[in-house]
Amino acid sequence: MNPTIYELIKKRTVLLDGGFGTELMKHGFPQGTCPESWNAENPEVIKQIHRSYYEAGSDAVLTNSFGGSRIKMSAYGLEKKSYELNLAAARIANEVKPKGRFLGGSIGPTGKFLKPQGEYEESEFEDSFAEQARGLNDGQADFLLIETQYDLREALCALRGARKASSLPVFVTMTFNRTPRGFFTLMGNSVSQCLKELEGQGVPAVGSNCTLNSEEMTELVGIMRGLTALPIIAQANAGKPSLSSEGEVMYSQGLENYVRFIPRMIKNGANLVGGCCGTNPDYIRRIAQIIRPS
Amino acid sequence: MSKEDMLSKMAKAVIDGDKEQCVSLAKDAIKKGLDLNEVIEKGYIPGVKKVGQLWEQGEYFLPELITSGECMKAAMQVLQPELKKAHIAVKSLGKVVIGTVEGDIHDIGKNLVSSILSANGFDVIDLGADVKLEKFIAAAEKEKADLICLSALLTTTMMGQKKLIELLRERKLYDRFKVMVGGAPVNQTWAYSIGAHGYAENALTAVDAAKHLLKK
Repeated sequence: MNPTIYELIKKRTVLLDGGFGTELMKHGFPQGTCPESWNAENPEVIKQIHRSYYEAGSDAVLTNSFGGSRIKMSAYGLEKKSYELNLAAARIANEVKPKGRFLGGSIGPTGKFLKPQGEYEESEFEDSFAEQARGLNDGQADFLLIETQYDLREALCALRGARKASSLPVFVTMTFNRTPRGFFTLMGNSVSQCLKELEGQGVPAVGSNCTLNSEEMTELVGIMRGLTALPIIAQANAGKPSLSSEGEVMYSQGLENYVRFIPRMIKNGANLVGGCCGTNPDYIRRIAQIIRPS
Repeated sequence: MSKEDMLSKMAKAVIDGDKEQCVSLAKDAIKKGLDLNEVIEKGYIPGVKKVGQLWEQGEYFLPELITSGECMKAAMQVLQPELKKAHIAVKSLGKVVIGTVEGDIHDIGKNLVSSILSANGFDVIDLGADVKLEKFIAAAEKEKADLICLSALLTTTMMGQKKLIELLRERKLYDRFKVMVGGAPVNQTWAYSIGAHGYAENALTAVDAAKHLLKK
């Protein structure tokens, strides 16, 4: 029997993948369309991107389903395709998954707010996430990753929805900003509040992704390690993007400057590391060299 | 209750996010025949400003910003018809057309800027998300806007900000409207390089930048 992702986490640092959106754009993905639609319309490109991460050394990659919840997809008029495109996301990724590696089903935020700031009830969020999770589950993802969550309440809706639809392990990563008073989500959830709540709900691995660069993420991982014994996931951005007036995108943290924090991030307590916005297979390849020097 | 007491209660109601209190104080102000523009400027707006400071200090977060914007809106909905009845112009800091550029469905940041600008006394026309560039120009012309605010969350859709400014130049409208840009990947360098008049890192700095651009 293949080892589970849990067994791998216990054994060594698990390497995840890096940015997906920027890779899509490299392959000619047009702005203003729904990224998940390419799971059906252009699966070869999606597979190529996953393959490039597996080849770079990722133990697990994440499906192209970040915005695959019905609520998010309704912005493109594709709300009826949520199940189908999530199913496709997991299926096509599985086609290129090497033996012994893993596939995580990505579940990102809805982009909308719950009441009272927004229009939505928790049950609506939950249903929307459940449908997405069902697709990822049926497409045979190995685990689900609820990621880039800026509202703990929404993350908990996603958790309930995912668990309703699937018995796969569900991990959660929150997105924190650095404020004068420390790290908080956009909605004001503190690191300790998030970890306490998620741990209380029995989430088997928690962490953070996006917004912070690898230096800030390293610091945050240290703080998280002081608050939980759970496996910690850390996926930092490559700093901040800038765009030349010709449209060329650059991230403020170059590859070497990004990866030099990885050993300390792991020392501080990260068990699953990978990249987020601005990172690509080159970053992952370099991290693989650092954490698996043989 | 003295006028000063009322004004400070208005500020406090905004800071506490107490919508009902905001509305009831606005009604009291009308009953008492207070100068309603003074009520707005010295009562509610100082509350909005304080909320902004608390946000900058990391004490308040997005929910509090949204709530205070809604409180202000609720108070204005009571005050505006009265001002209109009395043929008193509501003092406006300027007319703003705002939206997220085409191809980009992200509207959290844009909504916040829209709400905070409005709470601070700008007349805001919010075109929503994924707005065609032509629509920005048409709305700005129709509404005789002073300022066009363009939001973009993606590095790809940021190009829309550049294109809009090019369109304004082509149509000789560049001097007629000020353009301010924002969004997570947007920075001052980008704003400068595309010829935007202003840039705001967040909803609070957007207020100062807009005031500066419109010399208010």
